[in-house]
Amino acid sequence: MRMRTKAMMLAAAASVSVVAFAAPASASEETVGSCLAETILEFETDSGITLHELEEAAAEGDEEAKKELETLEEEFEACNESPNPILPATNEIIWGGLSFLILLGMMWKFAFPAVKNGMEARTERIRSDLAAADQAKVDAQAVQTQYEAQLADAKTEAARIVDEARQSADQVRTDLIARAEAEAAELRERANGEIEAMRVQAIADVQSEVSEIAIGAAERVVGGSLDRDAQSQLVEAYIQELTSK
Amino acid sequence: MSDTTTRYAESLLAAARAEGNADQVVGELFEFGRVLETNDQLREALSDPSTPIVNRMQAVDDLLAGQASRVTSSLIAMVVGVGRGGQLGEIIRATVELNAASRDQRVAYVRSAIDLDADQQQRLAAALRESTGDDVEVRVILDPSVLGGLVTEIGDDVIDGSVRRRLNQMRESLS
Repeated sequence: MRMRTKAMMLAAAASVSVVAFAAPASASEETVGSCLAETILEFETDSGITLHELEEAAAEGDEEAKKELETLEEEFEACNESPNPILPATNEIIWGGLSFLILLGMMWKFAFPAVKNGMEARTERIRSDLAAADQAKVDAQAVQTQYEAQLADAKTEAARIVDEARQSADQVRTDLIARAEAEAAELRERANGEIEAMRVQAIADVQSEVSEIAIGAAERVVGGSLDRDAQSQLVEAYIQELTSK
Repeated sequence: MSDTTTRYAESLLAAARAEGNADQVVGELFEFGRVLETNDQLREALSDPSTPIVNRMQAVDDLLAGQASRVTSSLIAMVVGVGRGGQLGEIIRATVELNAASRDQRVAYVRSAIDLDADQQQRLAAALRESTGDDVEVRVILDPSVLGGLVTEIGDDVIDGSVRRRLNQMRESLS
């Protein structure tokens, strides 16, 4: 910053010196108009006639006047030839060159080292920035690699979780199916058992009912057929049976 | 058989013997016991604590009037009067067995659809003596449910020769 300020001050001083010491580009040279005016004035002074009177005499056919007019026109054309627009005046070249050399020396002494130091600092800064950028790029690539590795791990983990979930779901489905089949088999077996028990019970009920009917009928038959004599015979048979034991 | 029942039975038997007609009284007690066994209403009436004891004793006198001796009626009324109407059946059964035991006999309760005459009872007693080896006193209980034949109960032994048993066997074979 300091070097830049010093360079700017030197440039301003050089500009001021150029403006102060340089003369106007056309101050030492006559213009086209003045050249024409001086030519006309010199003609009128030497000839004692005006340019208009010369033109009228040439128009009337005066050969001497025509020659004089042609000579004058040649001088006018010479005046019309303008000075070199590129090449400055001699004093300007001198003062400008001197100022340039002074400015060059000052800049060589003061500005160039500052500019050089600034450029070197800027180059160094740019180099360090590039190195930092390269390091940042390397770091970014490392981070990217790490992220990619983490992403790959995450994908692998996700795939593993999905696979485990699928396996768990399959296991649950298998268990549910097995349980449902077992319950269905148990229900079938229980239903078959109940049906068998009901069938056995029904047969037993029928048998019991039949036996009750048969026994009831037998009781009525026996009760009706057992008269006093038959009862006495049964008593005697009982006594005989006890005696025979 | 509880001690209380046994003591009451001994008291009844002693009173009957004191009156000199123990066998008759025991016989009448046994008959009353048969009636009591088959008549739930009478059993509940004699043991109902809500009925005054005097009324229960009066019921016994009215029931046995002309059907049993005065001693028998008085002994039953005495048991009912002391509030032992609920145990009257057990006391009577214990009295009968004590009376038989005093003659070295066991009581054979014989259930029959018909009444047995004295000859049948004697031959039955002899047959039971031969079969069991013990001298027995036959007490016949009329029970139409046996249909025919006899069922003899001596202590815990039962000798069933009834038509009912055969019908039950037939029922079991059919079931």
